[in-house]
Amino acid sequence: MRAVLNHTSLLPVSSTTTGSASPVPNSYESLEGGSYSGTSLQSPPFGYNYPTMHPAYQQNPAPKPDPSPSHGGYNPPGYQPYSQPFPSLSELSSALGGLGGVSELEAETLRPVNLLQERNILPPKHTPPPEPNLSNDLRKVNCSPDTFRCTLTNIPQTQALLNKARLPLGLLLHPFRDLTQLPVITSNTIVRCRSCRTYINPFVSFLDQRRWKCNLCYRVNDVPDEFMYNPVTRSYGEPHKRPEVQNSTVEFIASSDYMLRPPQPALYLFLLDVSHNAVESGYLNVFCQSLLDNLEKLPGDTRTHIGFVTFDSTVHFYNLQEGLSQPQMLVVSDIDDVFIPTHDSLLVNLKESKELVKDLLNALPGMFTHTRETQSALGPALQAAYKLMSPTGGRVSVFQTQLPTLGAGLLQSREDPNLRSSTKNVQHLGPATDFYKKLALDCSGQQIGVDLFLLSSQYSDLASLACVSKYSAGSVFYYPSFHHIHNTAQRQKFQKDLQRYLTRKIGFEAVMRIRCTKGLSIHTFHGNFFVRSTDLLSLANVNPDSGFAVQMSIEESLADTSLACFQAALLYTSSKGKRRIRVHTLCLPVVSQLSEVFAGADIQAISCLLANMAIDRSISSSLSDARDALVNAVVDCLTAYRANGSNIQPSGLIAPAALRLFPLYVLALLKQKALRTGTSTRLDERVFSMCELKSQPLQQIMHMVHPDLYRIDNMTEQAALHLNDSVIPQPPLLQLTAEKLTREGAFLMDCGSVMYLWVGKCCNETFIRDVLGFPNYASLPSNMTEIPELQTTYSERTRAFISWLLESRTFHPAFHVVKDDASTKTSFFQHLVEDRTESAFSYYEFLLHVQQQMSK
Amino acid sequence: MVLLTMIVRVADSLPLAASMQEDEQSGRDLQRYQSQAKQLCRKLNEQSPARCTLEAGAMSFHYVIEKGVCYLALCEAGFPKKLAFAYLEDLEGEFSEQYGTKVPSVSRPYSFIEFDTYIQKTKKSYIDSRARRNLGSINSELHDVQRIMVANIEEVLQRGEALSALDSKASNLSSLSKKYRSDAKYLNTRSTYAKVAAGAVIFITLIVYVRFWWL
Repeated sequence: MRAVLNHTSLLPVSSTTTGSASPVPNSYESLEGGSYSGTSLQSPPFGYNYPTMHPAYQQNPAPKPDPSPSHGGYNPPGYQPYSQPFPSLSELSSALGGLGGVSELEAETLRPVNLLQERNILPPKHTPPPEPNLSNDLRKVNCSPDTFRCTLTNIPQTQALLNKARLPLGLLLHPFRDLTQLPVITSNTIVRCRSCRTYINPFVSFLDQRRWKCNLCYRVNDVPDEFMYNPVTRSYGEPHKRPEVQNSTVEFIASSDYMLRPPQPALYLFLLDVSHNAVESGYLNVFCQSLLDNLEKLPGDTRTHIGFVTFDSTVHFYNLQEGLSQPQMLVVSDIDDVFIPTHDSLLVNLKESKELVKDLLNALPGMFTHTRETQSALGPALQAAYKLMSPTGGRVSVFQTQLPTLGAGLLQSREDPNLRSSTKNVQHLGPATDFYKKLALDCSGQQIGVDLFLLSSQYSDLASLACVSKYSAGSVFYYPSFHHIHNTAQRQKFQKDLQRYLTRKIGFEAVMRIRCTKGLSIHTFHGNFFVRSTDLLSLANVNPDSGFAVQMSIEESLADTSLACFQAALLYTSSKGKRRIRVHTLCLPVVSQLSEVFAGADIQAISCLLANMAIDRSISSSLSDARDALVNAVVDCLTAYRANGSNIQPSGLIAPAALRLFPLYVLALLKQKALRTGTSTRLDERVFSMCELKSQPLQQIMHMVHPDLYRIDNMTEQAALHLNDSVIPQPPLLQLTAEKLTREGAFLMDCGSVMYLWVGKCCNETFIRDVLGFPNYASLPSNMTEIPELQTTYSERTRAFISWLLESRTFHPAFHVVKDDASTKTSFFQHLVEDRTESAFSYYEFLLHVQQQMSK
Repeated sequence: MVLLTMIVRVADSLPLAASMQEDEQSGRDLQRYQSQAKQLCRKLNEQSPARCTLEAGAMSFHYVIEKGVCYLALCEAGFPKKLAFAYLEDLEGEFSEQYGTKVPSVSRPYSFIEFDTYIQKTKKSYIDSRARRNLGSINSELHDVQRIMVANIEEVLQRGEALSALDSKASNLSSLSKKYRSDAKYLNTRSTYAKVAAGAVIFITLIVYVRFWWL
């Protein structure tokens, strides 16, 4: 039996609106922020270089200098500015054909690769995602792939063609990403299509000065008077030069039509576990210190409110009313029917009660040191938080260290340690009770987002607890076996995560809607949110570190159009009480040939979408089902490619160059904590890994699934980057196999949220002395979690490289120095996905397995 | 009890600041009143009375217009009117001092939302019964508060609608009368033609009669 990942519930995309702009002609206000001088804000990669395309590459993997780790690129030489004032669709499409270089590029991505023979398929550099086959002008304004990516950069014309390719069609979004430059537009009228409510974007066509045609539903709309004036150039009569039409990522200041109520203030409530177990782990010290350090940096304005609730077997509130000499603690012991003891002094204005808040944070760690309370009433505490926050909404941060044992939402241990490494089915991946989901939905309705920090050494049923964040658009953080003294790496990670968590941007009372060209329809959403009214994602809180994925199908043929567009619009209230709409638009070509579909496949995006689908499958059906489906995804796709190309020799396992990493990534997915079988995996860790795969942005998932391995003891300045007078060496990426490790070397593995520095037994002593600060291998401690700042060139070069890797990362990874003989070695070796383990295939075995399945 | 406070620019009814409704205890549905408040703000113009109380069932709206800015509060009907106006004047004083000069230049809704903090605090001091006693001095200044115009919210909101109904009726009437006029003209001409035709027939008959019988 062959299982294909499901494409369920094809929901039609309706065109309900979040509000309507009233066309009041009035004068423009100046635009805030950012210059709009022609270039787009993020300088997305234009044209790119596949190092593997080089014919000589197979024997000689010479690295090509590339200015940045993952989002680099260069302008193709000799591009000509498009000066046509009103490019119509037909002109745009004719411009597509006239690019000679593109077809060459396509030929390269279609080059058949025999996977069984070519071992070195991993490019030595990070490759940018495939560039859509568009004219230079469209390419220049297209949305950055860091924000918006499609699994197929060439959209197939019909569902039949898509089915033939056996590849999933979907989008990966990172809509609220931190941006360095963002055009912000203040105008009385936000120009939108009258029938589908699409925001005006660079891919619409102007029929003449007064009319524009929507690129999603093809309706012809009028250009309002206000839009005729361009505030950037201060000229009149050039609607196509406005910033909305020049940038594919823009932010509008929303009018009061987009508000149901006055914008809410930033509200932060911290819900802290203070049972014996929690005090024992010592997280309270770390948390209170972190919050004290970042109190000034909490996003907000003078209206920001803050509150604290602690709980063990009872729930404790803190009265922080301005004017009190010290915080008052109010204990509610009736956990069956929690009530709020007093209404207006538990959530207080941060600015006015700052001293009291500081007093409380200083006192909290000491208040419960001698507690004997081992029970945890998380459910009632969450209910209290809901009651406290429901008038306004805001963010609730929950810190929990054990299984909730009292009151509503109590949970039982469901994990059988003996089954951790079973190869059979894994049970209890879903929630044990719907209490947390129901509560989350209530919270979402009142615009409350719940973030969960789980710091526990024992099983805490994350599968049930995580629901509280999943449906209220929160985030989940997990620190297994956290202890503030015994586990330094976890403590440092917790500290750094908190630092980022407390200070990162936040959007309140948000909704997101994704629209796409008529004929395409979105049917499944992945990520943390609640789907309201078929296609409106309700996000009580939105944070810059969460990603979303959607699956699409082609309902009607796209034969009469050459471009397909996707628009994601996120309406939110900033922490300063401003209502804003962030709009991203992506434009991709439509193709009619199967080979073109293969040529445009974005393998990283495909792998991420498949991971999301597999996780849904493993919860709804079973883990083994999901694993089979993943393998079949590769088998089906390669079979489809073989059936398509008749001129290829029948022997071997042939894949187009664009998909040559597909089997490797799928194998890596199968070896993830979320999906692996046979290797001992704690249930909570497995569930956490699933949460991460579902809610992280693409870059982060790729690091997790297929970590980067570098040899760093012999880095040379050859081909190094020179940025602001620091030299950043560029060692090549290595395949994830023990073959590449040598005892003489030191290797850095970057897994996104964790980094390992593996030091071989015979590593040269200069490296150990100059970089790690120890005389020889034997004297290296087994639990090093930092690289010391030494004043040697060697050390500086290494640290420059590591900090360059971390540059674009928002959360700081945990760092481990792993000795070859230490017990922590296994956690490093489990990431070498190309190697055979006792329960899983090696890469070559996996290829043979795929080949065997194909010949069936 | 003040349930809702809004500060709006009269010229284009742009909301400048507002206080979040507090309905956690009462659980009242303020959504309806909120939309009424919004409609009311849209109706206001320079000609509107500078201070007015509008009754809306169990609630009443009080507003003050000062320097092109409207200060609107929704209170329970039983809440003393003089207190409500003292509260609004208090807000007016503080708001025009803090933001008065910036009011004409802003374009973003709720530009001065941070004023919410002051609103909340002032509201509390007016609701607190102990603090009310301290307000005696203000009370005496407000002896003429009885003369403030009182109207019903429904009437105010429907006033415009009634006018527009009248307008449409009048234009309807005029178009009907135009139609009548053209119809009458048409009938007139028709009857004239008929008369002329009849005369002509008689005349021709006469000629024929004379021609054939007499000659």
